[in-house]
Amino acid sequence: MDVVTLASQLNAGTIIPEGIVTLTLLVVLVGDLIAGRKSASWLPYVAIVGLLGAIAALFVQWNGTSDTIAFLGAFNGDALSIVFRGIVVLSTIITVLVSISYVRQSGTSLSEFLSILLAATIGGMFLCGASELVTVFIALETLSIASYLMTGYTKGDVRSNEAALKYLLIGAASSAVFLYGASLLYGLAGGETQLDRIGIALSQIETPAIAPVVALVFVICGIAFKLSAAPFHQWTPDVYEGSPTPVVAFLSVGSKAAGFAFAVRMLVTAFGSLTEQWHFIFAALAVLSMILGNAVALAQTSMKRLLAYSSIAQAGFVLIGLIAGTESGYASVIFYLFAYLFMNLGGFACVILFSLRTGTDRISDYAGLYQKDPLLTLTLSICLLSLGGIPPFVGFFGKIYLFWAGWQAELYGLVLLGLITSVISIYYYIRVVKMMVVKEPHEMSETVKNYPEVSWNLPGMRPLQVGIVLALVATSLVGILANPPIDLAKASVQRSPILQASISPAKEVAVSRFAPVQSSEFRVQN
Amino acid sequence: MDLAHGVQLVSFGILAAIAIVAALGVVLLQNIVYSAFLLGGVFASMAGMYLLLNGDFVAAAQLIIYVGAVNVLILFGIMLVNKQQDFPAIKGMWIRKGATALVGAGLLVLLAGTIVTTPWAISTATPTGDGSTLKIGEHFFSDFLLPFELASVLLLIAMVGAIVLARREFVPEDTPTTEEELAFKLPERPRETAAIAGGSQTSPE
Amino acid sequence: MEAGIDLQSSAIEMLTGFGVPPGAAKAMWMPLPMTLMLAVATFGVLVSVWLERKISAAAQQRIGPEFAGPLGSLQPVADGLKLVFKEDVVPNQADPWLFTLGPIIVVIPVFLSYLVIPFGQHLVLTNVAIGAFFWIALSSVTPIGLLMSGYASNNKYALIGGLRAVAQSISYELPLALSVVAVVMMSNSLSTIDIVEQQSSYGILGWNLWRQPVGFIIFWIAAVAETERLPFDLPEAEEELVAGYQTEYAGMKFALFYLGSYVNLVLSALFFSIFYLGGWNFIVPIEWILDGLNLSADIAWVQVLTATLGIIMVLVKTYLLVFVTILLRWTTPRVRIDQLLDLGWKFLLPVSLVNLLLTAGLKLAFPFAFGG
Repeated sequence: MDVVTLASQLNAGTIIPEGIVTLTLLVVLVGDLIAGRKSASWLPYVAIVGLLGAIAALFVQWNGTSDTIAFLGAFNGDALSIVFRGIVVLSTIITVLVSISYVRQSGTSLSEFLSILLAATIGGMFLCGASELVTVFIALETLSIASYLMTGYTKGDVRSNEAALKYLLIGAASSAVFLYGASLLYGLAGGETQLDRIGIALSQIETPAIAPVVALVFVICGIAFKLSAAPFHQWTPDVYEGSPTPVVAFLSVGSKAAGFAFAVRMLVTAFGSLTEQWHFIFAALAVLSMILGNAVALAQTSMKRLLAYSSIAQAGFVLIGLIAGTESGYASVIFYLFAYLFMNLGGFACVILFSLRTGTDRISDYAGLYQKDPLLTLTLSICLLSLGGIPPFVGFFGKIYLFWAGWQAELYGLVLLGLITSVISIYYYIRVVKMMVVKEPHEMSETVKNYPEVSWNLPGMRPLQVGIVLALVATSLVGILANPPIDLAKASVQRSPILQASISPAKEVAVSRFAPVQSSEFRVQN
Repeated sequence: MDLAHGVQLVSFGILAAIAIVAALGVVLLQNIVYSAFLLGGVFASMAGMYLLLNGDFVAAAQLIIYVGAVNVLILFGIMLVNKQQDFPAIKGMWIRKGATALVGAGLLVLLAGTIVTTPWAISTATPTGDGSTLKIGEHFFSDFLLPFELASVLLLIAMVGAIVLARREFVPEDTPTTEEELAFKLPERPRETAAIAGGSQTSPE
Repeated sequence: MEAGIDLQSSAIEMLTGFGVPPGAAKAMWMPLPMTLMLAVATFGVLVSVWLERKISAAAQQRIGPEFAGPLGSLQPVADGLKLVFKEDVVPNQADPWLFTLGPIIVVIPVFLSYLVIPFGQHLVLTNVAIGAFFWIALSSVTPIGLLMSGYASNNKYALIGGLRAVAQSISYELPLALSVVAVVMMSNSLSTIDIVEQQSSYGILGWNLWRQPVGFIIFWIAAVAETERLPFDLPEAEEELVAGYQTEYAGMKFALFYLGSYVNLVLSALFFSIFYLGGWNFIVPIEWILDGLNLSADIAWVQVLTATLGIIMVLVKTYLLVFVTILLRWTTPRVRIDQLLDLGWKFLLPVSLVNLLLTAGLKLAFPFAFGG
């Protein structure tokens, strides 16, 4: 095979968005090298422009070609991957916006932070489309190693060191287990590494063999670590508490979205013949995550730990959509992640702002914040209420859609549990909101009494303000204008051959019968 | 059984024995330096296994990467930080050890059972032998091109990150204005220029 | 090209002629070259030690060893005997296991690397396809042994010496390997035989020395650093570290280190002559001479003659390089550790990367000259 034929077979156009991000990464690194520390004033905007370019490229691809398999089967740029890559890139953009002043104030250098963040984005994006074991693993490791580095980025801070070490050790162990599972798959498929061929090989094993199930369990260990689903969640609270807050924001959304994309592709393509088994395992994970996340969150006193347990619980909710395995199930996963992107990043942006100004993230220190900083209070309240699933914010519609899809797929127990734990979650979200809003002036916490005057003109504060307002607007308005994103999510499921092949015809009928009703329901409610 | 086959069988037995004993030593020995050196033994015997499977390039790569780089790095880490220190005995340690042994043994039985009972799809392709280096190169530049290139991003960022973690503390060139001093109270922020020595100034609230 | 003698096949043929089954004949043949090689390597060490003594004496206007044998040539043997009969001291509170194992791990990979050294077309123990890579991989094991002995000695000089030795050998392994890769790229093979073959066409003009001048220098510097010779002998810098990781060693274990370091020196010089100086090739191609004399390469005595010439050529080139290193030892000051690491990482590594890139470019542009 000579170079020309090879080049024509690669179909390298599918990874143009990743190429743009890689180029941005290099520009950031070299720009910092040439311009020195002065470059910190313009590098973040270069990164944002690059990421917006990647979004534009994704948009072009969405409307573009039907030939999505690239690199001789190593990468699949189908509609599903485009949507997930979009979510990852969006989360990076917001993370960049909210991290500028934080990194500056923590006395670390910005350009290296940006380049590591961009590398994590590249890893996440490739993970969304990787359809071959080696690519999957390298993408997973790019994302993971960049995440470990970011977690330990404020190296003068002992908590950050602790978080990085914990994350690294648990992450390395879960990667190893995943790799073992992948090696079993390689053996079972007779030396194939492409997911679809592994799927075919697994479906041809007639006798009930134990090896595919063992491989499945091991692979799920790797996936569940990225999703931080219980019982693979142990790292989450400590890492969220210790690492720099913008990093946590990225981990909770970007990394998690990439993990979900990877889960969908891996399980649907390679383990198509073991659907019942992985549904069962994921149901167990979902139950544990919802119960544990929401119950432990009740007892938290630190805002970041609260958000950590909340993110475990949210992963449990999203798993319901995955287990449903119907068109609306997958669509609801995408829509919920899209909603989660804005509300969770908005929440973290507020936590960043508060800790920048006061140096603390204890929940009790938020008391009476309403008097001093209305914008912060408003955004944090709306984001938390949306996470709790209070109408009319976007989180409510996301949850309704998830539960509805689960109900359609006859997952009554899971949905009921989801509803009950949602109600519990509302309690701890509202507790924070109540703390901020209702307190009388004399009940104000010491921290808030010393709250500095709000000034957005300081370096790095404008982007943070933009990020907060963006999250605020999206969280409060996307719920009301939910149809375009829902349509997008549905279209991405319909246009992805791997999902279409997996959705069973019987369920499909039920879904299509109810689908129009459902979207009109939303219109009525709005 | 001809000579070559016999030699192969005996070599496999020796290598497997070394690997198992060394791996047990890594886990069970109290002295962490012994564990690290034995880990090198495990890696080296793995290289021997690859050699037995005619993967001479992979064997050499295993040796150079795992023994020459990874293991040396681990040893370096241990020798630069290792402080002989007796840890206080933890009460009920034997329960934890027993549970670990039980889980380990269970996993061993499970995996061994899996390996024995599974109808593995044996690849029918002829072994390449001496041409394996060429074959690996061809794969790198055809169907594994994407992971190969992606690995360069991974290595680049690992290098950047390692330097970030290892270099001296970054001291902001422009001292914060008084306005900023008043407006921001992030605990991670370095308060003194003495940060160049690389100490930690964290003061938990 | 199948000229030259093939000892293995003729020996096996002879043995089967006596009625020995082929498998057993091969089994009987196998240990022979191995023992021979051990003997050759050890003898090479004796020669280099003698050379070192004589040349350093000359450099300092002394006479050097004189009484043991003609021109003091038995002095190294006497040294060796002394070391063998010395008491084997294990220091107090040292780790006896690691202390013993360290020197062994240092020495074994060096001897194993002799497996891929060719002295002629068929005068090689194993023509493995990955010869050059095999050597690099094996040489990366040595640091483990150094760390082991440094740690086990229970002596801070030894530990620092061990750590320095490892840092140094890791830093210089990269430029070394990269310059070897440039050579490998030109010969399209990792096999040491193919690398020499590729240089054999035009006599001295065909040697890689001319096509890889940068790689030649990098390899030389890196090889000197790898063998821990002056100006890079920091691990055993006597003014700072007594004798580095060797401080606590005596008797046979010290002899192993001593042996290892000289075998490594000869080995590096051998590889240098193979990679850059045309291996067993004479300065004009041997075929031209044979053609000029109207001799066929198949005649037995011609075969023996060319093989001998090949071996002599390899040894001449090698010992020329050994001579240069010994001369370097007495003419250059020692670098500091930070200078050493700076040179390795900030100069040699980028230069060798550029050299690799340049070689790839030239190979595409001028395939006839750079092994297209």
